Amino acid sequence: MAGIYVHIPFCRQKCTYCDFTSFPNRLSFAEAYMACLYKELSLRGKELEKSGKEVVFDTVYFGGGTPSVIDPELIYGAMKQIKNCFPLSKDPEITIEMNPGTVSEKKIETYLRAGINRFSVGLQTAIDSQLENLNRIHNVRDYLYCASLLKGKNFSADVMLGLKGQTKEDVEKTILIAAESGASHISMYALTPEDGTPIYTDYLNGELPDADEVASLYDFGRKLLKEKGFFRYEVSNFAKPGKESRHNLNYWRRGEYLGFGVSASSFFFERRFTNTFDLDEYMKCVISGFFPVIESEKVEKEDAKFEFLMLALRTEEGISSKGYRDAFGSDWKEDFAEAYRKTKKYLRETGDRTKIADKYLYVQNRILTEYMS
Amino acid sequence: MARPDRNLRNFCIIAHIDHGKSTLADRIMELTGQVSKRDMEEQLLDSMDIERERGITIKLAPVRMYYTALDGQEYEFNLIDTPGHVDFTYEVSRSLAACEGALLVVDATQGVEAQTLANVYLALENDLEIIPVINKIDLQSARIEEAKKEIEEVIGLDTEGCPCVSAKEGTNIRDILEAVVAKIPPPEGDTEAPLRALIFDSYYDNYKGVILFVRIKDGQVRTGDKIKAALGERVYEVTEVGAFAPYLQPKPRLAAGEVGYLAASIKSIEDVSVGDTVINAAFPDTVPLPGYKKVQPVVFCGIFPLDGSKFLDLKDAISKLKLNDAALSFEPDNSVALGFGFRCGFLGLLHMEIIQERIEREFNLDIITTAPSVSYIVHKTDGTVFHVDNPSHLPPVAEIDYMEEPIVKTEIYSPPEYMGSIMDLCRDKRGVFKDMTYLDAHRVRIEYLLPLNEIVYDFFDEIKSRTKGYASFDYEIAGYERSKLVRMDILLNGEICDALSLIVHEERAYQRGRTLCENLKDAIPRQLFEIPVQAAIGGKVIARETVKAVRKDVLAKCYGGDITRKKKLLEKQKEGKKRMRQIGTVEVPSEVFMQILKTNRDK
Repeated sequence: MAGIYVHIPFCRQKCTYCDFTSFPNRLSFAEAYMACLYKELSLRGKELEKSGKEVVFDTVYFGGGTPSVIDPELIYGAMKQIKNCFPLSKDPEITIEMNPGTVSEKKIETYLRAGINRFSVGLQTAIDSQLENLNRIHNVRDYLYCASLLKGKNFSADVMLGLKGQTKEDVEKTILIAAESGASHISMYALTPEDGTPIYTDYLNGELPDADEVASLYDFGRKLLKEKGFFRYEVSNFAKPGKESRHNLNYWRRGEYLGFGVSASSFFFERRFTNTFDLDEYMKCVISGFFPVIESEKVEKEDAKFEFLMLALRTEEGISSKGYRDAFGSDWKEDFAEAYRKTKKYLRETGDRTKIADKYLYVQNRILTEYMS
Repeated sequence: MARPDRNLRNFCIIAHIDHGKSTLADRIMELTGQVSKRDMEEQLLDSMDIERERGITIKLAPVRMYYTALDGQEYEFNLIDTPGHVDFTYEVSRSLAACEGALLVVDATQGVEAQTLANVYLALENDLEIIPVINKIDLQSARIEEAKKEIEEVIGLDTEGCPCVSAKEGTNIRDILEAVVAKIPPPEGDTEAPLRALIFDSYYDNYKGVILFVRIKDGQVRTGDKIKAALGERVYEVTEVGAFAPYLQPKPRLAAGEVGYLAASIKSIEDVSVGDTVINAAFPDTVPLPGYKKVQPVVFCGIFPLDGSKFLDLKDAISKLKLNDAALSFEPDNSVALGFGFRCGFLGLLHMEIIQERIEREFNLDIITTAPSVSYIVHKTDGTVFHVDNPSHLPPVAEIDYMEEPIVKTEIYSPPEYMGSIMDLCRDKRGVFKDMTYLDAHRVRIEYLLPLNEIVYDFFDEIKSRTKGYASFDYEIAGYERSKLVRMDILLNGEICDALSLIVHEERAYQRGRTLCENLKDAIPRQLFEIPVQAAIGGKVIARETVKAVRKDVLAKCYGGDITRKKKLLEKQKEGKKRMRQIGTVEVPSEVFMQILKTNRDK
């Protein structure tokens, strides 16, 4: 199985923590951009057809930016183009990210018509002052309205940890609102202050909760989520049974995916490649009939093996020994004998599967580095 | 008997650190046309990177120059640079033995400094003609007359007509050269007598073998001559002789009075050591020149490769450094925590630091150094007596009758207002007050007897910080004294880390243990489990801290585009891990072993 990712690099305004590729002032480019994106889809589709590679795409994901700020008909058009260019599975998972404050009943109708069956809503926090700090365009009421439009649909809510002044009570309130509003999936991310973003200044000035405090918030949130019926299936992702994101699981199972749009990444034909981050360059490239790829690297076998473990160990299902053997023809415990010996005490094994013990999932980098040559 | 060239002058420069010695040397070279300004890197004599960065001279570097004096005659100068720091007194005595005179450079803003004094006395002992030079006269705060007065009163040198210069601006440099011609005598010796050449330095060249730096006292030496070291066995054929220009410049011969180098395909320094005399193999009974007094290392530490498999590289590096650093001693060492390495002996702390830095830079080796120690005398109950400088070689307490520790006589020079603070410090360091003298209204000399093991930690920094950098100090070994010493062990996660053990005075053990545990707690990165850090004496724990387990070390998001980034991030983290050493179950960064050096002041 494989996935398709579509990047929509537009938004109303930039959030203070955001280091994704998005252009707050260029919403007027959306139509032209999407036209290019349709072209890129068809270029890649033809290439795939020519290669004779047999592959079925099981998920589609519209991410951003804020995909919900552009005309929903453009999303509809993109979906139509995807179906034209790529073989989709019988029951694909099709997700769109949306921000409260940008949605309407009509938009959602169009999405549904396009075949979208999963929504990812950026709540982040249920404390209005914190939303304002993050320069989000919405408040808690907007979220509740958005959730009411999605009533009965399969949707996820994003929650952030490590915000300025954030307490356990704040996290509790946020999770409860997300859970009670009907979300079937919650992503709970620790804020990562990236150099170059406005929030990085707060971080440098020690105004954000430190790693230990974030860890406490996380532990607290995880327990609460469990009580509410959300089970952790990956470091930052929690879902009601059966509601895990298939698109994201595909990343962690080291499945193939094709990314479209500016800055999108792909893993296909044993290569990892990335599109240009420059909007104009992207459009020029695609219009002239070229792939807008700026970086492409073949993943060598040894690297691939490490990637397999690194990604699997993020998840609750963990490493499948059989899956590893099918992929590489060898036993991972032998390939990484020394690292395995050293880290065994932090791992839990059941039959074919090996995962990181719950207690150590949040400090997994210390374990993963042992597996690097 | 044939006299050496009358127009030859061999001299060195004595100066306190920062008093502008290297700059002055550069000016002299410039003026004699030895190096064109354009080719000159700042401070040519200080050829090691470390020397240039720290602005100090460690190794002596000779250079030959020609100067046409006001009398119309051309003179050949050999300038032999000298190190200024107290640790390198040994090196100074070597350069002095190759000279007939010395320039004493005194900073017009600072006056005579303690360390300079020691070297001046050395020069006087060697019967050198000393020319005082007042430097930095361009500075606003220059007190030329006071500096002169100080030279006359403290050292007893006549300063009438002494050159007053600014090395930085190149003012009056010619005065110095004329003074060299007029006051420093030409070398004595007999060019017809059998060869006697003092080896005052050496280094290893990959193509030519050992290069000997020599001062010819008698006779001559030419390419093709058969020579040997007076104390050595082997006979060598000279392949090259020459002068320092300042780089090696071959010439047909070196004769009595001259300073230069010789190469003779010598493979090992062991057979031809610094301080020995090169003689002609045809006259094996030539009486050698008086050598230097052998120096004893006073500070010791363990040096281990960060990567255990680099032991042989480390051995090679230390052996090569030893070639031109007679004062460095080393022997193989084996630590439970750090594996195979070397126990090295140094003249002082600066010497130790320099060697460590040179190993890392010049040989590109990552090393772990243990905290410095001194050499103790252990008297066992069975009557045997021996020296121990490595804490882990100390016998069990029950077998020790008593121990002695080295004591140094310390002279501290300071403006009087810091006297109280200095005396506090000395008391704190178990010092015994000896004497105090007012040198003038601005300077006082305080003398203390101090245990050397109190000085090797942070005494120097402490003195400097307590006196805003105004005080200077000098010390010399004054013997051994009986003392109540104990070995303190450090346990990481319940296991003794032998590389962190130290010998400490009983009364100070508790305080030291507590500080050390606190410092270690901060220096050891948090790991997947909690790590108790304990200090113990003879199995009894006297201090404890805890390094808490790490709670968050994860990339929160890892989707399509993050995978490559995540890998890079982990690679970086892995790199950092390579700077760590596994001690039992605990990963420890190499800097941890120097934590012992830090005391309360940092808190």
